[in-house]
Amino acid sequence: MDFQGIYDRLRAAKAPGLLDCDLPRAGDPADKKDQGRAGDAFVLVDPAHWADFFRTCKQDERLGFEQLIDLSATDPAKDDENFWVNVQLLSLKHKHRLAVKALLPKDPGRIATLARVYRAAQWHERECAEMFGITFEGHPDPRNILLPDDWAGSPLRKDYEFPKEYHGISCE
Amino acid sequence: MTETRVFEYTRGQVDEDDPLHGEVMRVNMGPQHPATHGVLRLVVDLDGETMCKVDPDVGYLHRGKEKTCESLGWRKFFVHTDRLDYVQPLTNNIAYAMSLEKLAGLEVPERGQTIRVLLMELNRIMAHLIYIGTSSIDLGAVGIFFYAFVQREQLYDILDAYTGHRMNNTYVRMGGVYADIDEDVAKQIEAFLDQFPAKVDELANLLERNRIFYDRTRGVGTISAADALAMSLSGPNLRGSGVEFDLRKQQPYCGYESYYFDVPVGTVGDCYDRYLVRMEEMRQSCRIAQQALQRLKENRGGDFIARDRHYVLPPKADVHTSMEELIHQFKIVTDMRLPKGEAYSAVESSKGELGFYIVSDGTSDPVRCHVRAPGLVNVQAIPMLAEGRLLSDMVAIIGSLDFVMGEVDR
Repeated sequence: MDFQGIYDRLRAAKAPGLLDCDLPRAGDPADKKDQGRAGDAFVLVDPAHWADFFRTCKQDERLGFEQLIDLSATDPAKDDENFWVNVQLLSLKHKHRLAVKALLPKDPGRIATLARVYRAAQWHERECAEMFGITFEGHPDPRNILLPDDWAGSPLRKDYEFPKEYHGISCE
Repeated sequence: MTETRVFEYTRGQVDEDDPLHGEVMRVNMGPQHPATHGVLRLVVDLDGETMCKVDPDVGYLHRGKEKTCESLGWRKFFVHTDRLDYVQPLTNNIAYAMSLEKLAGLEVPERGQTIRVLLMELNRIMAHLIYIGTSSIDLGAVGIFFYAFVQREQLYDILDAYTGHRMNNTYVRMGGVYADIDEDVAKQIEAFLDQFPAKVDELANLLERNRIFYDRTRGVGTISAADALAMSLSGPNLRGSGVEFDLRKQQPYCGYESYYFDVPVGTVGDCYDRYLVRMEEMRQSCRIAQQALQRLKENRGGDFIARDRHYVLPPKADVHTSMEELIHQFKIVTDMRLPKGEAYSAVESSKGELGFYIVSDGTSDPVRCHVRAPGLVNVQAIPMLAEGRLLSDMVAIIGSLDFVMGEVDR
């Protein structure tokens, strides 16, 4: 299925939390400020129904997303009040992909874990949690993964300030 | 087929007569351990010799690559992609370039695509040779390591002749590759590919009839197709469990749909199956590379990089003589902007699906560059494969999952 087909199917299956889709489009030549948008199409999902949405994606026969390929987050700008949580799904049976995005308010930055829907989400979520300070509610193993346990701050946030030193090691 | 006796230890089986039974001992394997292929630390709880709990600890090689990209800009990050999975630098370059090209809407000319296919397949062979060499040296077959590395060294010589570096080549650019493959290099590659299948057979003869290798890999580290899917494994690790999914076939890129090759799959998903899959993949890579080389011969003189002055540097000779080209070069080097938007693009690397997710806000500063590292996903599956087995099996399991810590930790 192409993106439109998947989106229509999600609508027909009444996927919980499905808000909208975002397609790449060309800019408006008359309006210089409107650059348009390039790249992939994705669906927007309400973070309140996060896990339920993915349950539908996995269980629906015609969507059949068996694999969660990737889960990451993005901090779009320092003054933006939302994080993006980005997920890439893959269906091996139907050979199609879907990009999913949720706009998650930075405060309090809490979202449900997908570990019970896709086991492979665990480590991706640990990485997101330490890099952005997002809390994945109900995560079975919420430790740091790449960073030391006592690392302060969330490095991939745009407002992150580099530490001067770490245990006597100069970071400058 | 000769009869073989397989030592099968079922999950959770503990030797009741063991005097140490019931006493759990915690063993730290790594981060400095020859069999962990880098700086992987495994915290293993042992009941006797049986591993009852395995906890992989990664991050010892974390260098903040994703953060680095945000301050370097899109072009300069190419150098860092080589250092992710450093046994196949050009594949990483290409995966990254493809996501940039997707966002920029840039088409790679046919000759550029063909060179990329050739480079990716040579890199796949190099990565699989490392796997064969190191995983068998871990199991005590020291000789195999030398047989594999003699071949690998020839590939290094070829890449050295083509790019000027043995490792970390950074020879891929947005829109194509940095330079064309000339006739001398093409001849070297041809000579290598001609002798290579016989050398793979030689390696196979040494290992496939090897009693020790049989007994230490068959039935060890088994993962079912359903579990492999649930753990999001991809590449040879998924195909070893019998799931036929290869991005080169199922979602082709770089024109892979026009090459003849087969995708090998395993049956039970043990270490031995993964070994067989990779051996066959090397033969198939050789086939693809030969076809690509043939096409390069037929399509001599075509463009190997796109003629685009928003993203592709003009030829140096033109920069020195044309004011316009000088301006183009200046703009690309100082302030290369990608259109606003986000893109994810993936290739079939030797470890599995290697993808880059990039976000641009229309300026020259990247908002986000995330690497979907197949190695991280492979390491996550270690406890599932190892728990309930003997500690000595861990060495075979780590070797067969084939990951590189540079990519896992980023």
